[in-house]
Amino acid sequence: MRILVLALLLGLALDSVAATGRVFVTNEKGDSVSVIDSKTNQVIKTIAIGKRPRGIGLAPDGSAVYVAVSGLNHIAVIDPKTLEVKGDFPSGDDPEAFAVHKNGNIYISNENDAKASVIDPHTGKLLTEIEVGIEPEGVAISPDGTRAIVTSESTNMLHIIAIPEHKVINSILVGARPRSATFSADGKTAYATSEIGGEVKKVDVESGTILGKMALSDDQAKPKDIVVSRDGKRLFVAGGRANRVFVLDSNTLDIITSVPVGKRVWGLAQSRDGAHLYTTDGVDNQVSVIDTKSNTVVTKIAVGEAPWGIVIDD
Amino acid sequence: MPNSSVSASSFVTPVITTSHRARLSLFVSLLLAGAPLWAAPTLAVRIAFIGPADSDAHAGARQGISEANAQGKFLGVSYELVDSADVAAALGAHASAIVVDGAAAALPAFATQAQGTPLLNVRAEDDSLRGQCVANLLHTIPSQAMRADAVKQWQKKQPGSHAEARAWDASAEQYAGSQLNKRYSDATGRAMNDQAWAAWAAVKLVSDTVARLHAAEPATLLTTLRKDLAFDGQKGVDMSFRDNGQLRQPLLLVEGGKIVGEAPVRGVAPNGDLDSLGNTLCTQ
Repeated sequence: MRILVLALLLGLALDSVAATGRVFVTNEKGDSVSVIDSKTNQVIKTIAIGKRPRGIGLAPDGSAVYVAVSGLNHIAVIDPKTLEVKGDFPSGDDPEAFAVHKNGNIYISNENDAKASVIDPHTGKLLTEIEVGIEPEGVAISPDGTRAIVTSESTNMLHIIAIPEHKVINSILVGARPRSATFSADGKTAYATSEIGGEVKKVDVESGTILGKMALSDDQAKPKDIVVSRDGKRLFVAGGRANRVFVLDSNTLDIITSVPVGKRVWGLAQSRDGAHLYTTDGVDNQVSVIDTKSNTVVTKIAVGEAPWGIVIDD
Repeated sequence: MPNSSVSASSFVTPVITTSHRARLSLFVSLLLAGAPLWAAPTLAVRIAFIGPADSDAHAGARQGISEANAQGKFLGVSYELVDSADVAAALGAHASAIVVDGAAAALPAFATQAQGTPLLNVRAEDDSLRGQCVANLLHTIPSQAMRADAVKQWQKKQPGSHAEARAWDASAEQYAGSQLNKRYSDATGRAMNDQAWAAWAAVKLVSDTVARLHAAEPATLLTTLRKDLAFDGQKGVDMSFRDNGQLRQPLLLVEGGKIVGEAPVRGVAPNGDLDSLGNTLCTQ
């Protein structure tokens, strides 16, 4: 019996921590993280985290939630089960967006230094720095872990970075102020939003060829986050000042519909089964939950002030 | 914006020629071989500057060149600011565009002499210069009428306010203004003012266009600047030139050393229309 328990414990430790089904939201002006139970869509805890939390991500084994605390120049680590802050490690100046590689490393843009950094969150050690364009912002990692994209907002580029070489192998010009990028499931195609250009671009990752572009129909749109649906057929784009999420055909980039949400929608996170999309509505201090079948908002959840980043532990 | 179809025809798609592809692949193989980080530039672009070398505008133009090179190193393009005594010297240096920090009176003659080459005015605010609608004369500094309209709009909302309208302010934080201010002050030890911003913008909108075209021929640049610009001047909107050569842009309202608002003023100017500031027409 004792051996069995030990084996079970080891199994858990080696495999992954069971998902909590919780949604974590950074509140940029609330200096906190709101934790939502995705089964009830109720806020179960608000965690004080420090000044200006923005980017948020999940360890690949679900053992930690990482939060870029811009005002403290560090990444805080939250235990998703106990909801305690376990510690922090330095991130460089004014951390904002980052992505977590499936090997556990964190890829983060250093906005003021025209660099991206790779950090091992277990040791807090800076593994390497990669020179990119001015005002690097969005970071994405391909599903197979061999490519990263860093957007540079003032250089208007998507920098394609080879992993593990950590070399920029291609830099693709896109519309003004690229904010966010994401890969298709096969890693061959990337999609990116341009905030000032008000558009979405589709690019071939290896050749750097632009495969298509779509101007968002609302000229107030200042798009930020972009997410590919689980079935790969659709793109969800947070429309910023357009106060709506645009739903695009991932192949043609045609706008299928748009879903009105709260004011200044910036952040997006999709449930593992693809049934729901959670949005951060920055000015309305709320998270909207969209049913992706009907493309309607099923509920709105009040969170802290100026919600920014969002991640689901499911 | 219309729901444009998926197309590779728009200018915003970089024109990648066969030779550029070859260069890129060479560039990639050099990188993978562990060669020096960046391949030698294959397109060398010169931007001329006419005006005092110790001015804020000159510092702004240098900042623009530094940022242009930060982009150009990924594309095989290099940029150089060429200080020029006059238009003849600028043309002699094969400048793709000429930035002028000078008095209004000199500009029409400069433009005639530089015919076909974009001439970017970063200091003179005279409305008559805009009204003349000279084909190759572009203004990144706001006109007097733009500033006056911005103040008028602001006073409708805040009667009695003594705010001034500015192209830029060193305390700007929104729309990555703080990043630009930091880059500029770190590099130059100065605080970015209107002329510095206008010259930075002039260089940067030229280099953005060179990057998109992968060409720097003056006449091609001029056409694209006038017709197809969507420039991120770090004021939260995309900027383009009016037919009269003036750069459309929001202005910052500054009172007591603080930014108190921006124009077009929300709730006063219809739909935040940038053309509610200043004149849009030719007078001749």
